Amino acid sequence: MVRIMGAMIALLMTALPVQAGNSLIAPGAKILVAKSTLAVTPASEWNKLGARPGRNSESWTLDGDGLNEITFYGGIPDGRTLFREVDKRNRPLPKVSGTMLITDIPALLESSYRIALNTPLMSIESVEPARFAGAAGVRFTYSYTRPDSEVRRLGEARAAMIGGLLYMTTYEAPALYYFARDLTAFRQIADSAAL
Amino acid sequence: MRRPAALSGIAFALIAAAPLPPYTPAYEPTGVDERGMWMQADEAERQMRDSPFVLRDPALNAYVRGILCRTVGQDRCQSTRLYIQRLPIFNATMYPNGMMTVWSGLLLRVRNEAELGAVLGHEFGHFEQRHSLEGFKRARGLGDLLTWTALLSPTLYSSMATSAIGGFYSFSRGQETEADLLGLAYLAQSPYPAASAAPVWERLMAEADATAAGRKRKVKAHRYSAGFFASHPTELTRATYLRDAAAKANDPGYPAAAAYRAALAPFIGDFLTDQIKLNDFGGTDYLLGQLAADGWTPDLLYARAELYRQRGNPRDLVSAAQFYQQAIDGGFAGAEAQRGLGLSLLRSQQLDAGKEALRRYLDATPAAPDAAMIGALVGQ
Ligand SMILES: [Zn+2]
Repeated sequence: MVRIMGAMIALLMTALPVQAGNSLIAPGAKILVAKSTLAVTPASEWNKLGARPGRNSESWTLDGDGLNEITFYGGIPDGRTLFREVDKRNRPLPKVSGTMLITDIPALLESSYRIALNTPLMSIESVEPARFAGAAGVRFTYSYTRPDSEVRRLGEARAAMIGGLLYMTTYEAPALYYFARDLTAFRQIADSAAL
Repeated sequence: MRRPAALSGIAFALIAAAPLPPYTPAYEPTGVDERGMWMQADEAERQMRDSPFVLRDPALNAYVRGILCRTVGQDRCQSTRLYIQRLPIFNATMYPNGMMTVWSGLLLRVRNEAELGAVLGHEFGHFEQRHSLEGFKRARGLGDLLTWTALLSPTLYSSMATSAIGGFYSFSRGQETEADLLGLAYLAQSPYPAASAAPVWERLMAEADATAAGRKRKVKAHRYSAGFFASHPTELTRATYLRDAAAKANDPGYPAAAAYRAALAPFIGDFLTDQIKLNDFGGTDYLLGQLAADGWTPDLLYARAELYRQRGNPRDLVSAAQFYQQAIDGGFAGAEAQRGLGLSLLRSQQLDAGKEALRRYLDATPAAPDAAMIGALVGQ
């Protein structure tokens, strides 16, 4: 087990060079995220990644985005994709619709991941009602494996459609060890979300 | 005797003379380049053995292998190991060490054993001719992934080629033609009809057109004549010379469509789900129509309903509700059809009927992973 863990971490770390442009998120202070009015108050310290997944989003990590990653989506409007297109011409991503039901949000994330990451190994594991950013929304869990690393990752997300815009936060980490370790920290941040 | 213009000399020799070239079993690599290439292929195969993308169902594996063996013959077949990968793309690959991969997107798109045999025979043709060695010497490249799938999703390979799936080898245009015609010669000697290769290419072209049209892109007519990549025969050229050569071979054969449908039945639902989630409305709707050539089964109706609900235009939601209902009336086994029906009706503002369908879903599957969420929607 230890040997496997060591090998896995080595694999993940080599794939994750420290990127320039990252900045520290101080604990205990309310902060606006994803270039939006979505605010969270983390109880512990995080690193904000310099690279944004898309125009209205941002990602945080503790040890590198392959080991633990929180992403905030700050009000994605009708007609926009969840994140930047990888190949708009040949593999266009599905778009947010203002008339989406709450149950369509996990399906949108699933399809976007399958296309962007080239993997059919992405599935939604559970979906339940939950409040997010002061609105009636959804909490869902998922798992996925990318063909280029083959490490199984787990995810948990909280989302709501508010005024026709999609607000969401996701947390992802390898199923082995990391996901469980930082799940509580994520849930605290998701609970603190407010508009 | 007149020769079709598109038929090359080697093709003519193979088809007209019928006997296959002598085959050397248990071939071992010679020379530095070839040994290096085999080592890479062996490494790729070690990764493949542990890959979570490999479908390990013994019955499915035995069935697909059986088709390869009936196509190329038992002696040739013995030198291959076959891996079925869950990847929703039309593709098969052959490595120089005898590893063959067959992707689920290919299994979804062929209509019978003979069509699958045609594609696998083509791949085996590269192997038998040791085409990869020449490709390796020229440049380490992408290989047959290009050949089969360039048409459907041209830029997938950049990520696929660098993935754990391993290195691919690029083949020249002449090698492609050689593999096509050797594949046809296998078919002609097999229980399958040699005429099975051309229809595969023709449907691939039509699907690519439907994908483009669905994305409001111009359908590229020149692809049929000018070629997708200069180094490869165009799809139209291939379909044409394969059809001509098959006519020459004139073997009746048995395509085994019913057996194919029966063997694939346990997997088709999953393969369809993978396809539907690719956000390719036009291509997928075309594909479903092809699969429904002998009638819309409940599985296909459910898949079509999901496709339409996913696109979600107001008229799509009306169509989706109809397809779900037809699937249910036709005996679709899963409660998820009630779920889809209910959600389509809710989005169409038919709240009462929608909630009724969702209640039927919950009654049938109270422990569904989204039961709590659906329960909240119907106010339970
Ligand atoms: Zn080929």
